[in-house]
Amino acid sequence: MVIITLQRNKCIGCNYCVEMAPQQFQMSKKDGKTVLLHGQDKKGFFTLKSNDYAILEPCENAAKACPVNIISVKNN
Amino acid sequence: MQHIELMAPAGNFESLQAALDNGANSVYFGVEQLNMRARATVNFTIDDLPEIARRCEAKNVRTYLTLNTIIYDHDLSIVKTLIKQAKATKITAVIAMDQAVIAMARELDMEVHISTQVNVTNIETVKFYALFADTMVLSRELSLRQVKKITDAIEKEQIKGPNGNLVEIEIFGHGALCMAVSGKCYMSLHAYNSSANRGACKQNCRKKYTVVDQETGFEMELDNEYIMSPKDLCTIDFLDEIVDAGIKVLKIEGRGRAPEYVAKVIKCYRDAIDSVADGTYDKAKVITWMQELEKVYNRGFWSGYYLGQKLGEWSNGSGSHATQKKVYIGKGTHFYPKSQIGEFKIEAFDVAVGDTILITGPTTGAQEMEVEEFMVNDIKSDKATKGDTLTIPLKFRVRPSDKLYKIVENKVEA
Ligand code: SF4
Repeated sequence: MVIITLQRNKCIGCNYCVEMAPQQFQMSKKDGKTVLLHGQDKKGFFTLKSNDYAILEPCENAAKACPVNIISVKNN
Repeated sequence: MQHIELMAPAGNFESLQAALDNGANSVYFGVEQLNMRARATVNFTIDDLPEIARRCEAKNVRTYLTLNTIIYDHDLSIVKTLIKQAKATKITAVIAMDQAVIAMARELDMEVHISTQVNVTNIETVKFYALFADTMVLSRELSLRQVKKITDAIEKEQIKGPNGNLVEIEIFGHGALCMAVSGKCYMSLHAYNSSANRGACKQNCRKKYTVVDQETGFEMELDNEYIMSPKDLCTIDFLDEIVDAGIKVLKIEGRGRAPEYVAKVIKCYRDAIDSVADGTYDKAKVITWMQELEKVYNRGFWSGYYLGQKLGEWSNGSGSHATQKKVYIGKGTHFYPKSQIGEFKIEAFDVAVGDTILITGPTTGAQEMEVEEFMVNDIKSDKATKGDTLTIPLKFRVRPSDKLYKIVENKVEA
């Protein structure tokens, strides 16, 4: 399973994750920070668990691109 | 002679308080992600605006909200929310670069200051931005002679901002200088995918570099490996000339710096500005201020381009040349208001009578003093170590959020 987490409150809204993985991330017009689509919120940490391995690589690229390192991607 | 406004950086409540306690006339700060220090781990949030405004208003200090990053479409609504909230909480002005921010602020009747990133370098540009802004930072590439020409022209041509007063000119007085054109740089973006123009600068100009011939692998010998790391700007030794240039605001850099940095730098410049105003500014004072300024974070000092020197004063180290540093000793535990005694728990190292200590906290700011006497575990003593309870007579309240440090000499790397 692919597990993606986003520590949303630290997002600086730079849009890189959206460029890398537009299927998974979208900028919110409300507060200018990114949204992890279908993510579950737990105290500001958003998590998405998925069996779709196609999202793995784009999300890994997003994690690498994020200047504040708040995206993590696990594959197990 | 007229007093110029001293503008202090505030990255958090500790620094804000340090700025207020040491005589700043105004403070600038960022909230949330849309400021040039967005990467900083501690940043104010929009909910802090009322408290910032409250503390500053009580001291008659002006407040400036920085909204000076590049702005994407998805940022527009948060920009509006921030400006509205700033207006509602009576923040004095927003510091803006992007035209969208300038337009929105004007629409909401908020005072606008033009930020460094705009690079104002001539009188016609001043005239253009005077349609929207009351204060403008000039580009760091100007000499004082050029600055004076601009301020004279404002006076002569009576160039006024939206508030009906003559446009005020602001320049940088002290702190880090960018390698790139005032505050705009792609280096971090190229090397680390981290946009400085979004407040995510990774400071890669501050590193050691070697120059290698690709064909032969020959490494060029460099006098200084820090070829892209300029020294810090310092203007205290020609502050009289700065005032003469007709500027109204002197801005101090350092929103990422510790509260004792803000305290020290603001105190020195406050003193210097007052001395220029009352005619007591002299060489002897400059020497003392310089020694004080060297104690806190710096990469070595130079005077920028203001005096027309050629550019290229490089730092010869990656970190600070500060002659002092702080070591953590313990935390505040109690305050006895009647006897004016603060109590601390020592958690590391030791402290002795005669040491210089520093107490920092969100409400305490940065208070530095020499310890003259104290009690250890209720007995008069002259040394305290880890595990001890320390009580010291103090002129201010100590809080549980306060940290106690000792100031020690810092070996400066050559
Ligand atoms: S890359 Fe990181 S900081 Fe940038 S928008 Fe995405 S999560 Fe936020």
